[in-house]
Amino acid sequence: MNPPANNTGPGHTSAAIPMIKILGSVSLMCGILIVATQITTLGRITHNKEILLRESIEQLLPGMHKQITYGIEPSGDLKILPGLEGKGHRFFAGYDASGNFLGIVIEAGDRGYADVISAMYSYNPDRRTITGFQVVAMRETPGLGDKIRSDPGFLANFKNLEAEPDHPITTVKHGSKRNPWEIDAISGATISSRAVGRALETSVQTVTPVIARNLDRIKRGI
Amino acid sequence: MSDNQAPIACHGATSHAVDDSPFVNGLWKHNPVFVQVLGMCPTLAITNSVRNAIAMGLATTFVLALSNGLVSMIRKIVPNQVRIASYIAIIATSVTIVGYLVDAISIPVSIALGPFIPLIVTNCITLERAEGYAAKHKVTKGVLDGLGTGLGFTFALTCLGTIREVLGSGTFLGFSLFGPHFEPWVLFVLPPGGFIALAIWLMIFTTWRSWRAKLKKATTKPGLVAIAEVHS
Amino acid sequence: MNESLTHIVLDSMFINNFVLAVFLGMCSFIGISGKFATAWRMGLSVMFCITVSGVLSYFMNILLVAVHAEFLRLICYIIIIAATVQLTEMFIKKKSPALFRELGVYLPLITTNCAVLYVPLMLTARNYNLVQTTVFSLAGSGGYCIAICLLSLVRERIDLSDVASLAKGTALTLVLAAILSMAFMGFAGMGN
Repeated sequence: MNPPANNTGPGHTSAAIPMIKILGSVSLMCGILIVATQITTLGRITHNKEILLRESIEQLLPGMHKQITYGIEPSGDLKILPGLEGKGHRFFAGYDASGNFLGIVIEAGDRGYADVISAMYSYNPDRRTITGFQVVAMRETPGLGDKIRSDPGFLANFKNLEAEPDHPITTVKHGSKRNPWEIDAISGATISSRAVGRALETSVQTVTPVIARNLDRIKRGI
Repeated sequence: MSDNQAPIACHGATSHAVDDSPFVNGLWKHNPVFVQVLGMCPTLAITNSVRNAIAMGLATTFVLALSNGLVSMIRKIVPNQVRIASYIAIIATSVTIVGYLVDAISIPVSIALGPFIPLIVTNCITLERAEGYAAKHKVTKGVLDGLGTGLGFTFALTCLGTIREVLGSGTFLGFSLFGPHFEPWVLFVLPPGGFIALAIWLMIFTTWRSWRAKLKKATTKPGLVAIAEVHS
Repeated sequence: MNESLTHIVLDSMFINNFVLAVFLGMCSFIGISGKFATAWRMGLSVMFCITVSGVLSYFMNILLVAVHAEFLRLICYIIIIAATVQLTEMFIKKKSPALFRELGVYLPLITTNCAVLYVPLMLTARNYNLVQTTVFSLAGSGGYCIAICLLSLVRERIDLSDVASLAKGTALTLVLAAILSMAFMGFAGMGN
């Protein structure tokens, strides 16, 4: 059934060619299958991602009817992005049914205990505070780190968290929060809580100055 | 019984003495997790909830069916030296495809399964079924074997997922079973719990098999043993 | 994310140990940990394979991103791993035939060791640079080596004990692994 192994003598080169031909055709078949699947599912996957994103933003900005995605160019300028576009810094501005500006939703992420924690938070650019927080993806320890998603005491930190440039957001030990820019960590989940603090601070530092410079334009939705 | 001895690395019991339907063999008699002790990585990693366990099992079933089918198709034309490389390329392709499919069906599930979907490529089961069965049988038999083994794998993952989720979170498929005052045995959704849960199932399974073997021996006369085995 | 090298080492070697926390390399972990002598040799071979294929995958990823062929990542990583293992085999066969005979069938099985594929997947997901990649590969595989050696030492001692026949073999190894895993959980928070 299979040709015998033939590594010696003049038959060697002729045995190599069928091998290369077969490997080549198998690779070609595999490549075609992969590309075909990717093309077929691309639309559906993008659609799913958009739905998830929209749901998260709606939860953070209740009453949202319309959303505009702003991308931050390397030069610091704003550009409106259609739908979900690539990497790079971006944020979402939400408007209600009458077109009134509701608030801004920004993505944040940092390495937690097990892996990267991805989150989104809502930001009020007039008062310069964070008004809501939601974990998008995480692989933290169940029963401990994963409380950052649901613990009501922890989530209460983000109802009115100050995000001014002179006071960086810091995570402090559970029960020792004194200032409006501090996050009370979850007792027993310090590492995950600190990761959230770092993620928010990094994001705030990068994105909010750009928002402040372009606030008028964002509020008008252009 | 020698079935509970740890097999050498990935070499589980591969002999299918009685050629029953390959579907039934893969599902029960030669269950990849409980009998052959293969595919340990996802069995321990993904089973901290029943939903993830079933999703992982079905993804692996798809990969097994597809790669077995493709391997059976090319089995007669692939030269001996490059067969393993070809099988691995086919398995990697099937896994890439299943990755896209899971993303298209449910992104939260895809996030929950995480890196373990691409890691199906290194799941010993896929290569073992390709090399040990699909390479020697027709396409339909190969696909059936893939489906059976995959569903057997899903069954094993679900068993584990059930213990771990019920004891470790007090829920089943997300539905709370014991009410809000239940103090969950968190260990079971943590890594050590995975090891312990699998150890418990293996012990249950081996005990059950040795009881059945003793029962068969006690209730059949020597001449009738062959018939009894076919019917089991 | 800018992870410090110390953090990468502590994290991949102890806190999120490849075997005891992330559940990689299980098949070989259960199958080869019978004897310490085999275990540490296997551990070192795996360390070599993981480090080499990790670094090669880093470069391959750069290439794939440049030609917008990210969907070929999985196949390319697997090819790199298979080639590395093949080369390792040939190298060991030449340098030490005795070691080659002793490792026997376990060497080619490194190809199906989840831990080896996990490293390229993670360095892609976490966007590590070359130095971080090398450190991650070395430390992570070092953690695998430590875990497998520890388990083999415990198993050698247990070999001489009286164990219920129902738990002999794989079940017992799993319970031992559970205890080791619990011990390693004590490393949580180290270096933070």
